[in-house]
Formats: sequence, structure tokens, C-alpha cells
Amino acid sequence: MKEVLRVENLKKSYHKNEVLKGVSFSINEGETKVIIGPSGGGKSTLLYCINYLQKPDSGEIYLDSELITPKNIYEARKKIGFVFQYFNLFMHLTALDNVMIGLIKVKKLPKDEALKIAKESLLLVGIKEDLWNHYPAQLSGGQQQRVAIARAIAMSPRIILFDEPTSALDVELIGEVLQAMKTLAENGMTMLIVTHELEFAKSVAHEIMFLESGVIVEKGTPQEIIEHPKSERLKKFLSKIAKGEE
Amino acid sequence: MSSFEIVLFKYKDFWLMGLKYTMLITVLSILIGIVLGLLFAIMRIYGNKFFKAVAVSYIDLIRGTPMIVQLFILYYGLGSTGLVKFTPLQAAIIGMGLNSGAYQAEYFRTAFLAIPTGQTEAALSLGFTRTGLIFNILLPQVVRIVLPSWTNELIALTQYSSLAMVLTVMELTAVSKYVGSKTFLYIQAFSLAGIIYLFVSVVLTRLMVYFENRLSIPGVSAQKLRI
Repeated sequence: MKEVLRVENLKKSYHKNEVLKGVSFSINEGETKVIIGPSGGGKSTLLYCINYLQKPDSGEIYLDSELITPKNIYEARKKIGFVFQYFNLFMHLTALDNVMIGLIKVKKLPKDEALKIAKESLLLVGIKEDLWNHYPAQLSGGQQQRVAIARAIAMSPRIILFDEPTSALDVELIGEVLQAMKTLAENGMTMLIVTHELEFAKSVAHEIMFLESGVIVEKGTPQEIIEHPKSERLKKFLSKIAKGEE
Repeated sequence: MSSFEIVLFKYKDFWLMGLKYTMLITVLSILIGIVLGLLFAIMRIYGNKFFKAVAVSYIDLIRGTPMIVQLFILYYGLGSTGLVKFTPLQAAIIGMGLNSGAYQAEYFRTAFLAIPTGQTEAALSLGFTRTGLIFNILLPQVVRIVLPSWTNELIALTQYSSLAMVLTVMELTAVSKYVGSKTFLYIQAFSLAGIIYLFVSVVLTRLMVYFENRLSIPGVSAQKLRI
């Protein structure tokens, strides 16, 4: 299988606080990998470092075997989708324009082609025509996040990074977002997901990585990680989640 | 003819000329101010150390000195060196434009900072360059946020344009002084000038509210206003 993303010995500190202490892993085409771990363990920082929204201190990131550098980062970002915890839709644009703007301004596609792709992307995540001309402030959180997912997939990225995509949502809106992500996984999209939704992880992940204090403590199939955790730290984390403390 | 009518009708052409200059100075200087303000705001937020320092110095210098001193330097000061010789009208427009630029830079800066950083991250993650981000994502929102401040600046400049009279520009205030001196109907002449300023300011304010409402977007602009 073809490798899409490889992260090698990634390190990042804020002031004297070392958030990532050398993280390495890789993802193959069509794989879904999930990162779990306690708050402050470096999960978001890891995602932000992959597309240089935060600059890593050291380590290497390869996209399709090509090293990402500050020089080629703008090209690389076109191929790395990013879905944020707080959606981050462009507030002055309708749902449809949010999805189209990257296609038109970054990929320089003609308008009719961009429109076609945008519509397909929105339909894929279950945003129907009646919502296309709504502004973000007129959409529910779940709808906003699905538009944000559509915005990412419209660019036909090689991989999409999800940073706790459901943690800012009301409980009853989480399902629709997870369903949209499941559809992507079934369509063969390569995905790296930070989430606390263990049931979801179980059903879509090829591998789960447990990140704590800046290191990957344990990784394995969902079965291994969730049903048969080895390390004490992972056991403790899972029991906390079960009690709803994380 | 009442005294008020004498002041108004006998000197009608003077008043029209005064209004023309007042509007010309106001509109051109706010346009210069918008361009400079945007430039200095972007320099101050996104520039390197050098550009930041230039922007901050400019803003401090302009806001820290009276506009009338700035106008004197531009017209009499520069004129006396023989290097540049502006006409009074040019000096007034340039001077007020430079002045407005410093204030508008701060309006723009606060508008840029009012946009959540998440949108910047989202745009960068799509592959936008910094320039693309500023012009396609941030600026359309900045304009909507800055509109109420522009209204403020526009009517302030309308009043401040009266300073141009010290450079001998025949704008409204200068006209009212002239008419007063010709007729000795000073109170009528100055009151008429005041009424015209008030009328212009109110019309401009309503016009800007109209634009605010036209451009308003849920979640970006303040709630729609009733005119």
C-alpha cells in the first residue's frame, strides 16, 4: 500500500514546555488512524505541526514521500485537508461559497467547475440545497462542521486531519458529523483523527494511537487499544473516559 | 428680503463654491486616508520589525500633533523651502488625507484583530498565501466591521475641512466669514454655514447606515439599524 504521510521524530516546545517529544508514525492510502489521549498531551499540536500552522522545532514530515519544508508548504497544504474543533468557516461567505473559495482562489478552477465540485462535496456530507445559501451564523454547529468537512474534501486532498471535530458540538449534533466522516472513510479517504469518540474510533479506525505527554505510548488495532490496553497510563485514561472525565 | 435671505441668495454662488470645496476636501482626503490606513494597518499587523516600526512611528507622529500644525508645515513650511509648492487646496487634501490615514490605520487594525484567528488558520490550511488570505478572507469582513468607524471619520473630516480656510481655501467656513464681512450679518452667515455642515453630516450618516445595512451579513456585521 502506498504511504501518504510519514512523521519522523517530531518535536515541538512552547517556551520550556516540551509538548511533542519525538513522535513518529505513518499513514497509508485509504487508512483511518485515530489519536486519543488526555488534554494537553500534544494531540492538537501534532496536527497543527503537520501542515505547519505551528512550526515544528525538529523532525521530518513527508507527504507522498516528499519532505515538507517552509518552501513547499503552500503546495503541501493544498493536499492536506484540515477540519477544526471550532469549524472556522469564513463568516462572510455562504455555505456554498465557503466550499468554493479555495477551489477558485487557490486551485484557480473555473467557476462552473468549482460550483459542481462544491455541490457534490456538500451533498456527500448531507448538506442539502436549501442550506447552500445560508451564512455560517445561520447554521447549527453540526451543519457548520459538515460544511467545514465539505470545504476540506472539495480540494481533493491526499489526507484530512481532524482536530476534535465533535468536541464543540451539542450531544445531539455529534452523530451527523460522525456519519459524514464515516462516509469519507468508506469512500477511501485517508484520515488522521483526534477524537474522544471511542465508539466511532472502534468502527472506523485501522489503528489507534495513544498520545500522552508528547509521546505515543501505545498503538494498535481498536480491539487491542480499547479492549486490551497494555500500559497503565492507557488503562487509566480509558477508565477516565468511561466515567466521562476526559 | 429678510436678512437670512440676503445672506443666502445674494451670495448663493459663494455658498455653492464653499460646499464644493468642503466636499472635495472631505471625500478626497478620506479616500487617501483609506488607502494609507489600510497600508499602515497591514504593515503594523503583518509586517516585519522594520515595517512595524515605520507604521507605528507614522501613527504616533500624526496623532500626536495638531492637524493645523501639519497643514502649516505642508503649505507654508514646505512652500518656504521652495522644494514643493502645493496649491492651498492640494495642501489641504494631502494634509487631511495623511492625517486621516493614521486614524484609519487604527480603525483597520482593530477590525483585522476582531476576526477570529481560526479563519486565518482555515484559509492557510486550504493553501492560501498571506496576501490571498488578506484580500479574499479578511478584507471583505474588515470592511463591514470598519463601516461604522468610517461614518465617524467621514463626518469628522467634514467638520475638520474647515481648517482649510487657514490655507486660504474658500470652503464653507471661509465663505461664511467672507459673507459676514461683506454684509455685517455675521450671526446669519455663520449659522447658515452651521446648518449646511449639519445637513451634510446627517445625509452622510444616513447614507453610511444604508451601506451598512446593504452589506450586512449575519455573524459579521452588527445588527441591522433602522434609519
